[in-house]
Amino acid sequence: MDVKKIKSDFPIFQKRQGLVYFDSACTTLKPRQVIEAQNSYYEEYSGCAGRSAHSIAKKTSDAFEAARERVARFVNSKGESVVWTKNTSEGLNLVVRSLDYSKRKKIVTTRLEHHSLLLPIMEQKRRGIAGMGLIETGPDALVTEEAASKAIDRETALVAIHHTTNTTGMRAPVEKIIKIAHDNGALVLIDGAQGIPHSRFDFSKSGADFLAFSGHKMLGPTGIGCLVGRQEALEGLDTFMVGGETIDTVTMESVAFKKAPKKFEAGIQNYAGAIGLGAACDYLSKIGMANIEEHEKKLAAELVKAIQSIPGSSICGSPDAAKRCGLASFNLKGVSAHQTALMCDSLAKIALRSGVFCAQPAMESMGAGKGAVRASLYIYNDMDDIKALRETLEKIAKLGN
Amino acid sequence: MADMPRALADSKIIIGDTMVLCFVALAVFAVLSIFSAKYRPLFKRSLQCVFLKATLRPCDTGLDEEIKAQSIAGLMKLSPKAANALNRHFQAFSFIFTILFFASLFFAAQGIYNFMIYGNCNGLEGGFCIYSGIAGNNPSLLKPPTDLKGITYGNESANITVVEFGCYVCPYTRSAENDVRGLLSKYGDRIYFVFKPFPLPNHPYSKEAAIAAECANEEGKYWEYRALLFDNQKDVEANGTAALSDVAGRLNLSGFESCMASGRYDPMINVSVSEGDACGIYGTPTIFVNGQAFVGESAAKQAETRIQQLLAQ
Repeated sequence: MDVKKIKSDFPIFQKRQGLVYFDSACTTLKPRQVIEAQNSYYEEYSGCAGRSAHSIAKKTSDAFEAARERVARFVNSKGESVVWTKNTSEGLNLVVRSLDYSKRKKIVTTRLEHHSLLLPIMEQKRRGIAGMGLIETGPDALVTEEAASKAIDRETALVAIHHTTNTTGMRAPVEKIIKIAHDNGALVLIDGAQGIPHSRFDFSKSGADFLAFSGHKMLGPTGIGCLVGRQEALEGLDTFMVGGETIDTVTMESVAFKKAPKKFEAGIQNYAGAIGLGAACDYLSKIGMANIEEHEKKLAAELVKAIQSIPGSSICGSPDAAKRCGLASFNLKGVSAHQTALMCDSLAKIALRSGVFCAQPAMESMGAGKGAVRASLYIYNDMDDIKALRETLEKIAKLGN
Repeated sequence: MADMPRALADSKIIIGDTMVLCFVALAVFAVLSIFSAKYRPLFKRSLQCVFLKATLRPCDTGLDEEIKAQSIAGLMKLSPKAANALNRHFQAFSFIFTILFFASLFFAAQGIYNFMIYGNCNGLEGGFCIYSGIAGNNPSLLKPPTDLKGITYGNESANITVVEFGCYVCPYTRSAENDVRGLLSKYGDRIYFVFKPFPLPNHPYSKEAAIAAECANEEGKYWEYRALLFDNQKDVEANGTAALSDVAGRLNLSGFESCMASGRYDPMINVSVSEGDACGIYGTPTIFVNGQAFVGESAAKQAETRIQQLLAQ
């Protein structure tokens, strides 16, 4: 992987010389190819898809559906299995809130989840629609097969779990959990926000029922995401948002909804975003997800080593770098997380996230309820970036020691 | 009720933690916001922060952390040691800056008050009535007057000349008056005393009082009139010419009103003021003893010491 060449595709690096971007878990930077693809919709054929018959509307429909196919291909699924959403949160809410809980009432999850998954489940519980079961995890934030087996039973309607956490960058044993869930007759919803951008995920082969992810965390535009679902599982969901283009026929007495994915796509869609996300999938595929994964593994090992070399530092969750994608959350002794992040920005233009990362229970379970600093990397980061981070953290750590 | 001590302890932490910083930020950004729109969002955040802290809730705007981090990072580029010290004693530094901030606010307000009341920002500080706050306050820089015209007293051929520039409506000229009189009675035969009226523009009716004293002098009642002027200084300041006439009435000055109406002493007073300007007078009373200047309410006492030295030579 030629990081220098990749970097040259990102206009922000020319406009902000010296930027070291370590906040890709929040949102990634965007390459020129994605920006241009998105702009092409606005500049060349800014029409409605699936409605009007004129040529630019046709062009919009074609580009929009081609983007759907591209995204489906990216996770090895079929176009009709991809529902456009505005982000991962919408995809997760859609499944958790629209699933039929008449026969089974329990949703099994972990306390490591992002609020986007945790809150819809807690809302279903609060409303008395579903109950909640937890796959227990310890301070190392590792999900084990054994704990999953304990939590998932014949009462479980849905197992909703992360592919990779946004707090530690560690993966759940998704394939094994899917098997346990299916053995118990439960459906599985994967929060792929942090996983899909960083590794190859074969939706068809995994056997998962639902997978939600966002465009903006994988070089795509903001405001676009996907819910990928098995056809049968998607059809089993009740309607979520309804409106234009979600129906076949409407009379004042009855409504016949379209099949998925259209059933869930009410109103005019984010065409530019979808087209941009399609371009992002192409961009990542061209580099190769296996290459990206390998690149991140190397950097992750170096990142963990760099943080551990700082006196008084502590890493959230298991320090085992092999279990991580390119992400680590940490604290420095005597300096608050916000202060560390702000000072990195001031001293060396290093962009880091600080706080509880929209996953308060997860952070509390790791003993970092007051927050931490998070460094999350991607294809445009290299060893020099990690060196810059280490040197800056060394300076800041002296304040606390 | 069981949670009360805990709540109090928490509130102390909240107040002590970064409230100081938010207060300073609020005041600083409030001023900056007047001149630049860039600072208005920061002002809003600091206002929100102060409001939260004042209602015993933690500040969640992140502004305090941001200010702290930016200051320490900025300093770290110059001196890591200084940054370390700032980080370690940040709270103490914040308190010091807050105290300085409020002190400067107080002095600024005092300056504005003085300007409104006395026409200059320094007010009555320094024991003299300020004529010009810009001129400075170093008596050794003053130049002695070049002539001895004015109200005179004593021995014209004496080797020691004492020249006073004074304003009849200046409270410090009044408080030095007893000492001036003392000088005259003790050394009257060995010194030559000249009084040059120097009415200060920021004292009401000072010029009218100076003219009135000249009119009294015409009728040989200068020193009596002068004594009454100082005794009734507040009345003169408040009632102007009516008070001056009242004093004149008590001394039966028959030509006083026509003298005042004639305006014949206006040029003479103007010349006296110009002369004071040329000397560099910055406040009254100013007393020169053989060219050496003393300024303020103790000027006459200092002048006496100097006179004694000169007489001993």
